[in-house]
Amino acid sequence: MAETKLVTITIDGKAYQVPAGSNLVDAAKWHADNDIPVFCYHPKMAPVGMCRMCVVELGMVEKDRATGEVIMENGQPKVRWMPKLQTACTQVATDGMVVRTDTDKVKAGRESVIEFLLTSHPLDCPICDKGGECPLQNLTMAHGNGVSRMNFADKLKLDKHVPLGDLIYLDEERCIQCARCIRFQDEIVGDDVLAFHERGRRLQIITKSDPGFDTYFSGNTTDICPVGALTTADFRFGARPWELTDVPSICPHDAAGTNISLSTRLDRDFGGRAMIKRVMPRQNEAVNEIWISDRTRFVHHFTRSDDRLQSPMVRRGERLSPTVWNEAIPALAEVLKAANGDVAVLAGGGASNEDLWELRQLLKGLGSERLGAWTTHSGAELLLEVGVGKGSNLGTLGKGDAILVVASDLEEEVPMWYLRVKQAQDRGAFLAVANHRPTRLAEIASQTERKVASQTERKPLVGKSVLYEAGKAAHWLNDLANSDPELYNTLKDAQNLVIIAGAEGLDWDGGRALMQAAANLLIAGGHVGKPNNGLMATLPEANGMGLQYLGYTTQNALDIIKNPPSVLITAQCDPLGDDPTAGSWMSKVNTLITLTLFPDDTTQRAAFALPVQSFAERDGTFINGERRVQRFYTAQGPMGDALPLWEIIARLRERLGQGRAKVSAAAVMLELSNHLPSFNGIRYKDLAQVERQYPDVGGKDLYYGGTAYQNKGGLGVQLPTTADNGSAPTTGTVNLPEVKQAKKGELLLIPTVRLYNRSHIMRPSALIANRVAKPFAALNNADAKKLGIKHGDRVEVRFNGGQATVTAQVSDSTPQGVVFVPRYLADTPTPMVITSASVVKVSDAVAVQ
Amino acid sequence: MSETKHILLRWKDVKADFRKLAEYRKHEGFEGLKKALAAKPEEVIDVVKNSGLRGRGGAGFPTGVKWSFIPKQEPIKYFVVNADESETGTFKDRLIMETNPYQLLEGLLIGAYAIGAHTAYIYLRGEFWDIAAQLDACIEEMRKEGLVGKNILGSGYDCEIYTHLGAGAYICGEETALLNSLEGKLGQPRVRPPFPANKGGGLYGEPTVVNNVETIANVPWIMTHGADAYKAIGTEQSAGTKLYCVSGHVKKPGVYELPFSATFRELLVDICGGPSVEGRSFKALLPSGGSGPIVPLNDKVLDTRMSYEDTAKIGTIIGSASLIVMDDSVDITWVASKVTKFFKHESCGKCTPCREGTYWLDKVIDRIMAGEGSERDITLIENVAKNMAGITLCALGEFAANPIIHTIKQFPDDFKQHVKKDGKAAKPVALPAAGD
Ligand SMILES: Cc1cc2nc3c(=O)[nH]c(=O)nc-3n(C[C@H](O)[C@H](O)[C@H](O)COP(=O)(O)O)c2cc1C
Ligand code: SF4
Ligand code: SF4
Ligand code: FES
Repeated sequence: MAETKLVTITIDGKAYQVPAGSNLVDAAKWHADNDIPVFCYHPKMAPVGMCRMCVVELGMVEKDRATGEVIMENGQPKVRWMPKLQTACTQVATDGMVVRTDTDKVKAGRESVIEFLLTSHPLDCPICDKGGECPLQNLTMAHGNGVSRMNFADKLKLDKHVPLGDLIYLDEERCIQCARCIRFQDEIVGDDVLAFHERGRRLQIITKSDPGFDTYFSGNTTDICPVGALTTADFRFGARPWELTDVPSICPHDAAGTNISLSTRLDRDFGGRAMIKRVMPRQNEAVNEIWISDRTRFVHHFTRSDDRLQSPMVRRGERLSPTVWNEAIPALAEVLKAANGDVAVLAGGGASNEDLWELRQLLKGLGSERLGAWTTHSGAELLLEVGVGKGSNLGTLGKGDAILVVASDLEEEVPMWYLRVKQAQDRGAFLAVANHRPTRLAEIASQTERKVASQTERKPLVGKSVLYEAGKAAHWLNDLANSDPELYNTLKDAQNLVIIAGAEGLDWDGGRALMQAAANLLIAGGHVGKPNNGLMATLPEANGMGLQYLGYTTQNALDIIKNPPSVLITAQCDPLGDDPTAGSWMSKVNTLITLTLFPDDTTQRAAFALPVQSFAERDGTFINGERRVQRFYTAQGPMGDALPLWEIIARLRERLGQGRAKVSAAAVMLELSNHLPSFNGIRYKDLAQVERQYPDVGGKDLYYGGTAYQNKGGLGVQLPTTADNGSAPTTGTVNLPEVKQAKKGELLLIPTVRLYNRSHIMRPSALIANRVAKPFAALNNADAKKLGIKHGDRVEVRFNGGQATVTAQVSDSTPQGVVFVPRYLADTPTPMVITSASVVKVSDAVAVQ
Repeated sequence: MSETKHILLRWKDVKADFRKLAEYRKHEGFEGLKKALAAKPEEVIDVVKNSGLRGRGGAGFPTGVKWSFIPKQEPIKYFVVNADESETGTFKDRLIMETNPYQLLEGLLIGAYAIGAHTAYIYLRGEFWDIAAQLDACIEEMRKEGLVGKNILGSGYDCEIYTHLGAGAYICGEETALLNSLEGKLGQPRVRPPFPANKGGGLYGEPTVVNNVETIANVPWIMTHGADAYKAIGTEQSAGTKLYCVSGHVKKPGVYELPFSATFRELLVDICGGPSVEGRSFKALLPSGGSGPIVPLNDKVLDTRMSYEDTAKIGTIIGSASLIVMDDSVDITWVASKVTKFFKHESCGKCTPCREGTYWLDKVIDRIMAGEGSERDITLIENVAKNMAGITLCALGEFAANPIIHTIKQFPDDFKQHVKKDGKAAKPVALPAAGD
């Protein structure tokens, strides 16, 4: 985004150089520190000029038509003023623009708009969730005249509890008809399910959504709503904003590393300890801007669920019985000593860098280097070489740039990336989406234009959606130059190219092949080692990248599966719950130690089950999919005897004579970054750096952006790739694996990912649990016919290691020969990698949902 | 009395049925189009510019100038006729469409040709469904004679005309709300700039001209008879004839076509026969329906020419020329109340001052009319109305302020009689029904 021609505008008598074409409200704030009050304007959306709060006096310096010289009058440039007040939000900066924001006329204009708004307002601030952080409240204090000339009895009486869906409630009396919520859904999300109904004073927000309003981003409307008209079912009437302490944190659910604030207070419902009352976005323009997904917002109850494992458990015979750390630690030390180095770790993406470091050091001290990453998403090592360049920001991709999303259902896997990729396409970037089944993002990629209801112009879009044969992502990408040279060249020759790789339908070998094919394309086009170019992967959970950086690999995991150790430590992963075949190799492990949030399937077989603290109860760092190391802080009181994972291991190491246990996560990070060169010696305080971000939301002028986006916790530090550091990566051979074939009479089972599922983490959040799909298997029409299965029938899917009874979803969007089985929907474990399976009808459809 | 000559209701002069294509063609019909198609588009725009034709939708913007704003280089342009005719007391466009449909369609084609549009729409208010059907039939008649569609009259120029019905909203007569409605969106005005003539501002974002029915119906005559002939009619700044819609307390209400140089007296007294009830005299006039400033209908006003420039001198506008005449039996407060209810009902609700202001004004006026108001309430509504004017997104908000501001200015006593004085309650007045 190059063009930054500067023009001179004058605001309240002072001249400023601002980029030509910038919005006047934005320019005044950024360059002149002049907060023009707004309600409907939002820096992330097109202006609509509805509320009229932003009125200013506007003029232009007069220039001689013939000479172009400024005409002077009494030693001052002559200004031609517009007779009426003008809305600043609908003006763009042009050379010679003169603005007054401090005159009586402007003051009177603002005052009258506030008065008009308040005529309809219920003034129920004392019971309003927004009270205390409300733009209307603040602007009334600043510009209101303090007395009401409207008879209270003349006010409209409207419905105050209108559920737009299960998640969001509308208070019709409080709504000031600014259309921010409508425009957010329309412009930002691209799903225009909110609208105005009726006209005049009867104008009212409605939803066209059926079932109710529940897009994956619906909660953001409550942040940008400038009044308390929209509230979440999760937080409404939960606390007053001024009682809340905002603790910076990082979303634990996916690779986006969304920056959040946990609003906490000491709460009766949590034994007087600090408790999360709500999750709010924290501005980080390079990561999530000011948005969060509904999963990020609403899935926090697990952190204080009574179902959590709350004390260390040790197996006595058949049963696990509770114990105390002082007994558990020595017993663990004995077991580990006796293992004689035959010990390994399988870690999940939920463990922090500090946790992973302590585990790594533990193993090192025991003479083992078997650090396995428990994920099917392989090839992450390439991200350290050709990952997106340092300084990348999806929010700046646009015209001339290209994005390829392959083997991923991005909306379900990393919704934040979905949102940002969609917006990059809106700005003109070419979007290619390739998968073996249609997805929402593919639909978006193939649209040629986007009509935005609040804007006149239709945006022309460029993109392409490609369907390849089931499971053949790597084959498709590797052969792209031959099979579709036009697409290949569009990607290769783009100004900037980002590839986002998923792992749908791929096993470990297929995943690595896809990552290598993607790396090759990037290298071929010179799209490495520079900002806005390179590879990203939808590694599961928040710290998939950290696993790689700390040496936990899928190769090691496969080796662990092949040659199980005598002692296996599972760290925030549940192999037995994830993989129906895990039981067979797990039985060869003598002692299973699990570090876990919940008593899960793996716990059932463990000799030791050790309760770890969730991200909310402790300090730590995650590395997101763009290799940004980001810090989260202790927000909530601990559950039971749970400890930070790193601390458990540190104590164990001390017991084993591996040195004094560290006293803080910061100290662990210090050691870690001193030892691992890739961390560049970063410290916690580096991660806590913040700088002014554009747009400048989150200050005390809540009205500009919305509620509470302030980033006080740090923007994090992006680690450079080897390419960033100057080593020229070379293309590698893509080892195309043979694609799994279904056995005769069977189908190829491909696991898929759903944003909302029945994992332990989701279950305690009732709002989300209610939105989880009923377990299903998706089949092709022709296959279903052959198997005598109709849409909605109950079927049993049988595979190596188990079976699941689910509902059949029959359609043509599933390719022939394939059955898609989403993970974590069924009550029993379903396969985590592509495999052969049979599908058998159990009973007829009862009631089709 | 100035010489009457019909341009828009030309069939009156030649005594023919212009609803029939053959009759229309017999009397100069489509001669203007032929002339236009033989000329360059710029030349057509120049003729219209030189004629002094001004928009009849209310604002009086010079039509040729509006056409010249359309950027030539843009490949897609649209021409839209505004047949929403929703202003209170306006019923002229329907007369043109009912009695002289081909003249409108001919003018539309000339305009579309001049700006290089190949698609034209006629947006009609929902209640005009029967007129839309008639226009559709006319378009099919024209198709048979090669007057619409591909290669019109062998000229190589293509243009298709579609009619489109609104759903009953006054605001959809405002040109940008009309375009939203035409696009299938909520009928609310758009932010300007960009203007409809600009890229990004018109129909589907393409440069678009929106003209009133009456404006366009003048164009064939101008093309046939030339700019000078047209300019010779009317006044210096208001060329041509105008359809005046007269309603209220006159003997012969109706639609009359007169040159702009005619005075209110010529129309209201000489033609319409003066006050409808013997013994009563004229009291007030709304020259441009509910949206323009009300004036006392005195001799000074009666002797004013009904042109853009002359009405401005008496503090009002000719607008769409919907003359609502009131005799001395009328309480102007009642009128203000009724008009306020109209605007409250029709406000689109998009911008704060109009949405909230119309609602608030209505509440206070109700109170005054019920005899429960005080003098402070009069000050209040005047102040509220002034706060609305000048700060709204579209002109409707200004229109809605007019009845209050100008009634208080011109007829202060009418309001005062309803409010309590010295603690004594005033006489309550029957309220107009809500929403009508
Ligand atoms: C609230 C409002 C209602 C309007 N209604 C009409 C209408 O019913 N018919 C019309 O021709 N113009 C109407 N206009 C004017 C149009 O916006 C526009 O100026 C006109 O159609 C332009 O055509 P002209 O240049 O031929 O007059 C209205 C304007 C406003 C602000
Ligand atoms: S609900 Fe909130 S965001 Fe939506 S229009 Fe009303 S005030 Fe604006
Ligand atoms: S002035 Fe009235 S009609 Fe016009 S945009 Fe505002 S609310 Fe709508
Ligand atoms: S009109 Fe400018 S902020 Fe609402």
